[in-house]
Amino acid sequence: MNSVNSTSQNSPETIVFDLLYSQLPRYFSESMQLDLNAKVSKLEQIGFETGYRLVERLTRDTPRFKSDLDVVKFICKEFWSVLFKKQVDNLRTNHQGVYVLQDSKFRFLSSMSASSQYMASTPCYLAFPCGLIRGALSNLGITSVVTAEVTDLPSCKFQIQAQAA
Amino acid sequence: MIFNIYIFDNHGTFLFYSEYKRLKKADMSYSEEGKLMYGLLYSLKSMCQKLSLTDSSGTFNCYRTNKYKLNYFETPSGLWFVINTDVNAIGMRELIQQLYQQVYVEYVVKNPECERGKPVESALFKQEVDEFLRRAPQFR
Repeated sequence: MNSVNSTSQNSPETIVFDLLYSQLPRYFSESMQLDLNAKVSKLEQIGFETGYRLVERLTRDTPRFKSDLDVVKFICKEFWSVLFKKQVDNLRTNHQGVYVLQDSKFRFLSSMSASSQYMASTPCYLAFPCGLIRGALSNLGITSVVTAEVTDLPSCKFQIQAQAA
Repeated sequence: MIFNIYIFDNHGTFLFYSEYKRLKKADMSYSEEGKLMYGLLYSLKSMCQKLSLTDSSGTFNCYRTNKYKLNYFETPSGLWFVINTDVNAIGMRELIQQLYQQVYVEYVVKNPECERGKPVESALFKQEVDEFLRRAPQFR
């Protein structure tokens, strides 16, 4: 374990966000009796609104983006650093509007499991980040569908499918 | 040498157990052993408080037999950590505090799937505890 890293992640500001975030799915499952799909889409909606507003604040010192790829690069670097204290590890694209962002140690899952344990509940924990990304992209002019895929915790992949404007 | 570790919460729930170099097994189930251990600590704690010679002191830290030493650490939130070691182990208090801060907070408190007041079932937590203790100089 990297002690320098873990102390910065344990600062009071970040831990409040972490804990709030991790209680969201639980709240929806206990108090609202929703099925998995409804729960995931609600969480995604919250993420969308948050991401949409957050990006206004984050881009205030950034010049305008030249292309969609620049926007996605911004998401991988600045946006990810602010939210998850690290950058995306790998970005791939087919140059036709599909981008795959791979994070090999996704912060919200890294304290949960390093095996297939708890795999069944990962969709609930990834809906909010998917919404965040979709909201951020939407405010930067890219309408998209964002999905997450986990094969091997705590590594996870976000696929962005940009819709033609 | 570190023999084994027990963690209890503030209601006496047996949260976690792991063992490393334990030669003699008790002839009872783990849950029963946990209850016995909890009772022992509870009694020792209150005895130390009652028989304390000054007002402020009187906290129980460890006991020692001729073969092993039981190290006890309590957090302000009422978690009880117990690690049994050989008689010569030193600096266990600091070690347990680090274990609490770096492993328990990180992998139990921040894991939403670990419910409070229930035994910890996270495989990652067990793995991290094992690694942490094996890296400790007291482990040998």
